[in-house]
Amino acid sequence: MVCGTAGNKQQQREINMSKESQMRAAINQKLIEMGERERLKELLRAKLIECGWRDQLKALCKEVIKEKGIENVTVEDLVAGVTPKGRALVPDSVKKELLQRIRAFLAQHST
Amino acid sequence: MKMEDMSLSGLDNTKLEALAHDVYSDLVEDACLGLCFEVHRAVKQGYFFLDDTDQESMKDFEIVDQPGVDIFGQVYNQWKNKECVCPNCSRSIAASRFAPHLEKCLGMGRNSSRIANRRIASSNNTSKSESDQEDNDDINDNDWSYGSEKKAKKRKSEKNPNSPRRTKSLKHKNGELSSSVNPDLYKYNYSSGISYETLGPEELRSILTTQCGVVSEHTKKMCTRSTLPNSDTMLENDSYDAPDGQLIMSRLQWDGSSDISPSDSASSKASTNNSESKRPKKKKKPSTLSLTSAGGGGERDKGQERERGDRERVAGGGSGSGSSSSQNALGLSSRKKRPKLPVPPAPSIYDDLN
Repeated sequence: MVCGTAGNKQQQREINMSKESQMRAAINQKLIEMGERERLKELLRAKLIECGWRDQLKALCKEVIKEKGIENVTVEDLVAGVTPKGRALVPDSVKKELLQRIRAFLAQHST
Repeated sequence: MKMEDMSLSGLDNTKLEALAHDVYSDLVEDACLGLCFEVHRAVKQGYFFLDDTDQESMKDFEIVDQPGVDIFGQVYNQWKNKECVCPNCSRSIAASRFAPHLEKCLGMGRNSSRIANRRIASSNNTSKSESDQEDNDDINDNDWSYGSEKKAKKRKSEKNPNSPRRTKSLKHKNGELSSSVNPDLYKYNYSSGISYETLGPEELRSILTTQCGVVSEHTKKMCTRSTLPNSDTMLENDSYDAPDGQLIMSRLQWDGSSDISPSDSASSKASTNNSESKRPKKKKKPSTLSLTSAGGGGERDKGQERERGDRERVAGGGSGSGSSSSQNALGLSSRKKRPKLPVPPAPSIYDDLN
């Protein structure tokens, strides 16, 4: 019986997770279908340009390029060198606003 | 089981938050990737470093922050005190006044012709008679320069030789010429530049009893609005209301020695100005005029109720209605002809008195 319950719990967790992932997939699909994802993307892009994030990241890219040399630099080099810093450099206000919008969308379309 | 009907609402808040965060980081990563692709392409295409300038040329365009100088390093009023030599009159003119001076000097500006004409006018006024004032006023009224000046001059030469303007100068000599107050009412009104001091008392009386006579400050022209009280009743020719007759009688007593030149047949004259001898002539003329213009004495509906009402009052007023219709046709000019109309009945009243 103990094994059975443990197994059941494990199964339940998996079920939960799969349900969760199903939910996630469903939400993503809804985001795309309703065009909300595009809108959010545009909004984020505009905000990042406004706050100078883009220029900062470009400067970072320049450094990577100078490091690696113009001829040899690849996309992966750039991505690997820039993306983590990019994520950190997003200003809080932009992050908050976007999260707000996403939550609102979720609340509206969760059923 | 419950888990099977799990929906989003079943997810607790933390899970929702986590979900939102995930969506957010997906979006940010998309942005970063987009940037990296752009930069990589720019590097490979060779235009990534184009907007960089070398340090030396950067120093040339640095922002200047000194007093007395703008951010480019230029002095503000550098040219204020400089003087330029005019190519036309070879004078030394201050820089800020150079353009207006050139306008006047070359005679090509917007106001230069006006000012020049005014100067001519003022110099003329001091030397010549008042009749020249008209010309200058007319010219001054035109905004343009040469073309309209020519027009104005032409207009002046076409003026009626019998207009009071001309006769006035004669009057001063003889003292008793026809003062017909007729300033060519149905032509352009050239009665500008009237100075009341030069007119004799009888002329003044004749003018002021028929016209407004207020001299405008701007154009120096005399207002020629008719003072006759019931211009509507001018349409009635034959039947006359008693008060109107009395009014005319009182006005007729004002009558001075003013005469009407016979050739002024088409012009409208105040009834008060008619001397008895002239009346029969005038009696015929308006009627013939009205008949010819109306093309028949029949009543014509012109759609104006006021005149229709007048026509009704007129008993058998064939010529009256004809003239009223002619009045309608002629529009503005007709109004100025109205003073003529009571003339035909006036002699009859006088005859009664006599």
